Amino acid sequence: MWSLGRPDAPSSDPVLVVDDRVVGATSEVLSVGVTLGMPRREAEAMAPFATVLIRDPEEEARRFEPVVEVIEDLIPRVEVVSPGLVYVPVSGGVRFYGGEVTLAERVVKEVDNLVGHLRGGQALVGVADGPFAARWASATATVGHPQVVEDTIGFLSCLDLATLRESINGEELIDTFRWLGIGTLGELARLPREALATRFGNPGALAHRLASGEDRLVDPRAISPDLAVDAAFEDPLETLDAVAFASRALAERLLRGLRMNGVAPHRVSILAESATGQARERIWRSADPFTEKALSDRVWWQLRGWVEAGGVPGGIVRLRIAPADLSDRGRQLGLLQDETSRIEAERALTRAQALLGPDAVLQGRAQGGRMPQERVAWSRWGESPTDAARDPGAPWPGATPGPSPALVPPRLQPLEVEWDGGMPSRVRLGTRWEPVLTWSGPWRLSARWWLGEKDADRYQLVTSAGALLCVVAEGKAFLAGVYD
Amino acid sequence: MGIEHLVLEKPLRFFDMESSLRLQPGRVTEMLGVSGTGLTRLGLRLLAEPSQVAPVVVLDTRSWISPEAAWETGVLPEHLVIVRCDKPRVWPKVAAALLEGVHALYAEVPAQIKDQDLRRLAALARARGVAVAMRPMGGCLPSGVAHLRLRALGVTWEGADRGHGRLKRRRLVLEASGKGSAGVTRRFEVEDEGSDIVRVVSDVVVGEARRSVV
Repeated sequence: MWSLGRPDAPSSDPVLVVDDRVVGATSEVLSVGVTLGMPRREAEAMAPFATVLIRDPEEEARRFEPVVEVIEDLIPRVEVVSPGLVYVPVSGGVRFYGGEVTLAERVVKEVDNLVGHLRGGQALVGVADGPFAARWASATATVGHPQVVEDTIGFLSCLDLATLRESINGEELIDTFRWLGIGTLGELARLPREALATRFGNPGALAHRLASGEDRLVDPRAISPDLAVDAAFEDPLETLDAVAFASRALAERLLRGLRMNGVAPHRVSILAESATGQARERIWRSADPFTEKALSDRVWWQLRGWVEAGGVPGGIVRLRIAPADLSDRGRQLGLLQDETSRIEAERALTRAQALLGPDAVLQGRAQGGRMPQERVAWSRWGESPTDAARDPGAPWPGATPGPSPALVPPRLQPLEVEWDGGMPSRVRLGTRWEPVLTWSGPWRLSARWWLGEKDADRYQLVTSAGALLCVVAEGKAFLAGVYD
Repeated sequence: MGIEHLVLEKPLRFFDMESSLRLQPGRVTEMLGVSGTGLTRLGLRLLAEPSQVAPVVVLDTRSWISPEAAWETGVLPEHLVIVRCDKPRVWPKVAAALLEGVHALYAEVPAQIKDQDLRRLAALARARGVAVAMRPMGGCLPSGVAHLRLRALGVTWEGADRGHGRLKRRRLVLEASGKGSAGVTRRFEVEDEGSDIVRVVSDVVVGEARRSVV
């Protein structure tokens, strides 16, 4: 509800803050049935009396900066998700302050002292295992009373499926689960994960992981210090324009470097050093890998917050952005150059997989072989590619010469060919006989006789309807490919 | 017995033939011709450029399309996904789902698909800015769907000669029509040597092509 405290919001009237969906609403608006996350039009129809404000994340981030600083004074390594929502790893803080409840109450008290008098400034604090559970623990907390969850699995099992909406970004999947009679995360967690992954792809597996209390998995690969980017400025950056320009350029450089390595960041650490030698650092987190725009926005919000709050006296002389968590999601389809396209394509292909089954959405890898059927190693899209059984770089003497036929039946198809003196003269295509205009071959395909295979001959047949790759074995002809 | 050739006269003017071999965002390119004329390979070739920056998808109704041919024409292997759909009943849903997320699509269109569904898909492609090549497996697309229609008129192969040599070069004669060719029907020829180089042979286009056998 942090968005409610913006300076231009009327202080006493009912207020609704929206982007596409509701992100903030006063109690009067909530009392008529409006909920956070509800589509904007629906909320406006339910609360026509409310003043509607369009969300301004930049302004919210600037105002939120002092809150983050207060929390950071109590516990280090604050991760900002969005203005109004932070995650803090509390294992160290709990030992220092003597317990989770004490720590949580301390946070509530300090934040209330700072912004508790503002509308939407009341701190809701939740403590649980993992960011997802903690997020919903805070959502079920009440003002002044932190929600400390002892049994995370038990807590999650009672939550409604709608809590998955932000994480899996798939309203349709939630509707499908409901249609299948699943209403809570506990019911979802009781299903076999393999079945969900097979039926619904990555979002299904992710939903099951979250429902089971296993939060988002990040690949714990070693992060090379070379992946961080930094920039030093002889003349300190004091104006917002200069900061904006530098932040965008640096964010782009970071993502470009990461893409070259086929990885994408879920967390980044932003560090700024002031002319007086003071260093400020903040971590930002995202459920999906950061895109260029998302990262640029966050860096800009953070730097603006510091500059306007006087957190970098004398201006910024050095900026550094380092990835804190990397996943190989950028590698799933290879080294993609457009992260947004990858995410959109992933959703589309997951939907196709749900409609057709996992065996219908495929990717191929080159492997060695003499026949076109042998030269592609297929794997289901989204799964680790199967290792090539045969080395594609090996010479493969006797391989069918290129170009490759564009249509290759999975198995050889019977083909009727008429021969005249050992030379092909006509071929039956459907219901008609086509004369063979010319041909090349035969090329001998030596079989593995010790496995009972028979030798075969290959021909390229050219007809007026196109060219075919034909295999003749034991006096019978088969279609092996169409040069379509 | 001889190889069939197309005898072509009159140079083409004021028509960018190269651009007709590029997919355009939000536009549908129809590829008409019987199996064997080389349109599958040409359709895969159209995905080569978009595959450099984003995933591209082939919607395969026969489960016969070979990614090897696509790789040869320049499509990045890690960006190529093949979706096999042999059920005309779900084909429109699958195509719509793909149009929601991918930037370029080559789709074989089963003969049973209703005109209404195809029009809806074309509108979706326009709205989402997806570059689409459609290959109808029976008949042609309804009017208003395709921005450009490429019809295969004939194909000739070089390299094979009564048992000697091997297939080396294909010459495919295409007829372009529709809005994408400024409303004028034009003919041109493309050469394919099995690599990612597909050349448009210029100055060989006529109003009327006539066939001869040599």
